Amino acid sequence: MGKDDVSTKKRRKLNTSTSNDASKLTPADVYKKVVEFEESEAQIRSAEKDAALFKKICQDMRQIFSDVAELKAKGTDEGKEKINAKRIEASLQLVALKKLNRLEKVRTRAGRDALHKEKQRVDSTHLLLQNLLYEADHLDKEVTKCLQFKSKDEEIELVPLKDFYKDAPIEISRPEVTKTDEHQLQLARLEWELKQRRELAGVCSELVASKERVAAAIAAARSRLDALAPHLRDVLKATKPLQECLALRLDEKRDETQAAALLPPPLFLLYANAGAYSDALGAKNVTVAIAGDEDEARRLEQLTNEESEVVVSNDSDSDQDNNDEDHRDSKKKRHHRTAKISKEERAEAKKKEVLKKHPLNVHVTVKNSDETAVDLIFSYMIHLKIVVVKFIMNVSKPITGVSAADVLNGDCILNELYVGDTGCDSPHPATAYLLNVAGISEQFSHFISEIGRPYIWAQRMCGLDFMAVISDKEKTNKNIQPSQSLSVASVENFIFTLKKRLKARVELMKELQDLESGKILPSKGVACPVRLSGSLTQWQSITWHEYSQTPSTSFLISEGVVSDANMLYRAIITRQSAKLVALVAVSSDYPKRAPLFTLTLHWNGTHNALSNDDIRDIERVINTNWDTSEKIQCTLSSQMMKLLTCLDVLLETMGSPEFPPDKVILQSVRGRNRMKPYKFLKQGAGVFVQY
Amino acid sequence: MLDKMLYNTVLSQTFSPCGKYLVAGNIYGQLAVFDLDNIFNPVIELLTADYNKPKHIHTIESGSQVCSLVTTNKFLVVGTVNQISGWDWKAIEQSKLGKPSWTIEIRAHSLIENCDINCLWYSEEEAKLYAGCGDNKIYVYNLEDGRLVNTYEGHSDYVHSVHGNGQQLISSGEDGLVLLWDTRTKKSHNKIEPHTNSKVARPDIGKWVGAAALGNDWVVCGGGPRLSLWHLRSLDVVTVFDLPDTGIHVAFFHDDCVFAGGTAKHLYQLSYSGDVRVELPVSATTVYSAVLRTTPRKVLAIAGSSPEIDLCTTFNYRDQVLHFR
Repeated sequence: MGKDDVSTKKRRKLNTSTSNDASKLTPADVYKKVVEFEESEAQIRSAEKDAALFKKICQDMRQIFSDVAELKAKGTDEGKEKINAKRIEASLQLVALKKLNRLEKVRTRAGRDALHKEKQRVDSTHLLLQNLLYEADHLDKEVTKCLQFKSKDEEIELVPLKDFYKDAPIEISRPEVTKTDEHQLQLARLEWELKQRRELAGVCSELVASKERVAAAIAAARSRLDALAPHLRDVLKATKPLQECLALRLDEKRDETQAAALLPPPLFLLYANAGAYSDALGAKNVTVAIAGDEDEARRLEQLTNEESEVVVSNDSDSDQDNNDEDHRDSKKKRHHRTAKISKEERAEAKKKEVLKKHPLNVHVTVKNSDETAVDLIFSYMIHLKIVVVKFIMNVSKPITGVSAADVLNGDCILNELYVGDTGCDSPHPATAYLLNVAGISEQFSHFISEIGRPYIWAQRMCGLDFMAVISDKEKTNKNIQPSQSLSVASVENFIFTLKKRLKARVELMKELQDLESGKILPSKGVACPVRLSGSLTQWQSITWHEYSQTPSTSFLISEGVVSDANMLYRAIITRQSAKLVALVAVSSDYPKRAPLFTLTLHWNGTHNALSNDDIRDIERVINTNWDTSEKIQCTLSSQMMKLLTCLDVLLETMGSPEFPPDKVILQSVRGRNRMKPYKFLKQGAGVFVQY
Repeated sequence: MLDKMLYNTVLSQTFSPCGKYLVAGNIYGQLAVFDLDNIFNPVIELLTADYNKPKHIHTIESGSQVCSLVTTNKFLVVGTVNQISGWDWKAIEQSKLGKPSWTIEIRAHSLIENCDINCLWYSEEEAKLYAGCGDNKIYVYNLEDGRLVNTYEGHSDYVHSVHGNGQQLISSGEDGLVLLWDTRTKKSHNKIEPHTNSKVARPDIGKWVGAAALGNDWVVCGGGPRLSLWHLRSLDVVTVFDLPDTGIHVAFFHDDCVFAGGTAKHLYQLSYSGDVRVELPVSATTVYSAVLRTTPRKVLAIAGSSPEIDLCTTFNYRDQVLHFR
């Protein structure tokens, strides 16, 4: 078949080529037909056979070439013809090869096309598969979503089942259906729930409406009350002429009580009790008044009230909140401002804050029958929580004499009114701590000249008992509440003590006035029995420094009976060439405690109690209660009289011609200690004997 | 008014016979009994703040000043004003003093004038009590029966001190005389007038002789005139002690020294030749009494116009101070 095929192929090829040239048919159609024919041929013919044919043709060609080569080698003419014939053979073989090649190409292409088609089909199927998988997945997700969906109805708290069946009316609960069908049960319960809620909402709105009505009523009442205040004031004004007619002090009393309401508790106690005593004793003796800035006090009270209210209540009104916010804002503003102020000014401000006094103070005036009066001003220190006192002295007649005036100085009078109470330091144990916290380095006593003295009697009169605090250390942190009973007890005692003190001081002042002018007037009833030759030439007040530097005072100072709290004076008594210098220490509660004398005699040398027993004996006579027969209170004048007498006796018994004996003396010296006779016996004309 | 005890003046002191107690008498009529054992050998646990205060303070009934004290074996003899009383030592050691065991009254001349028993001296061998009084006389009592045995008159002013040594007696007085007596006679056989001696006299202080003591051959005396040592037989001044005092009230012999004190800042221990051996500072303005004891322990007690009594154990410095308050 091969050879046949080849030949047919050859013919075909010739045909085709000729047919191509010859036909007038469209070359395209012919070409098309040829191509179709060859394609179908490729399909029909078997590939292996064509492959074998190809090999054979190639072999033939090789044979031809080798023959040609041989012939060429020979190079004969016969050979040239053979070569030509071989050449023609070879070309015909080539055509066959070409055909085979085309057939192969067609086959290959057909195969590729078939493969391509298969691939495409596979791909589309694969795509379909993917789509389906995706779809399935999607549906899965949707399903799960649906399953997870919780409807809002499950969040609603429903009445428990039993109650539901009990409470709900039959048409809603429909037990026949709902007991079997869960869905229906749920629906029924929801329906019931809805119904109940609607009812309650109705009730709620009703109540809100009624509440608003009540609030409106309250507001109306409040506004009516506010409108009342001016009416009342008008009524009060109208009563004024009536009061004047009847001479009632109601208005003033009301003002005072108003002011009193603004006082801090300790001062209020003081005011109340002192006022009571003023009423009891009469205005001649004690008067009480309130002075100061009332508006400031009202502001202060508002501040403290609001602070305490914020602490107490949790749900404050909106007004309150606003107030607090305002305060906080203003505080913030203040902070803002102070950042620019210098340190000193801040320290000053802090100091002022700590030492701040309440704007109101109480004036208590205690008067004596001879018109001398002490006006005490009690102020309350808000932060330090103690009461301080300032004073104003009023005397009726002007005082002559320097030392006399000092005696009536308020500080002096109030000093040691009670034992140990000098008012030099704060009695509150927390004061030092508070001052430290505020950054003030000075002691409290530094500020006393500015703010007044914190006497303990003042604290007690206001009911502040610091003694209890000192004994119980745990309570130092708690606030000390003013105690009413203490105030009552103290006020009475204080007023009487002060009056006594005033009286005693006025008398002392008179005595000092006399002494300064050199007069020694005997106290009432005891006239001087003998003629005294010495005279008082000087009376002057001296300082503690001078007093303590004098050697004669060292004994009394070392015994602790004289201190710088006493009033100190120097008296000089002279008789001819003898000069007796007496240093006198008068204590605050003269004449309860007699004045103490220390003597120095300048005559024939300097003698005092440390060097001379005679001087010591005179000091004993004057300073001590040796002669217990006399129970009279010793006044300054009587002691000065005694001193003059003793000096006379001493000088006259010295045996010096300068002082001739003038007194009747039994024995000028007696005993081993050679005592001089200082005791006066009223026998006959009066005689001096030893004690 | 101050407490008068701040101006206390002790005029006399004496020790108890056992030496345990020191008794001091003051011008307020009080007797203070100090327990010396407690002061020198204190039991630390029992020591209180007032260990140097008197164990007891007894007040004499009459309230008149205690001018002189002397110790006998059985009694404490107290010379006050117008009377001499004797208390049993056991009674003194009690907390409450009862009545005296015996009292000798010395009658005063007038109602106003009182007779101080300024000094007492007890002679053990004769059991006689010599009392120098404010009425210028020296009385001698027999303590066994309380009888007045003798009266020495010679002074023209009150007697300051009386001291005896064996048969001899010396007395000094406000009149400036130092009289020497023989105990057997009634008259003084010798006298010294220090104020007439120019080396000794101090006219601005006075002529009174506050103290005089008898040694073996010597007499020491002083007062207004300076403290001076005189020879007993020749009655000449041998040594004049130059002390910065303004009046001698105490002078006595002990060992080889002369102890002297008065209105001065110190109590002096002097040698016979006039050297100052020790100057003891004293608390009192004027020393009126200095008593010395060597058994059971050495102690010197100095008292005067002060509420404090100085105690010295070695006589060189002040050891302790007792408070008669």
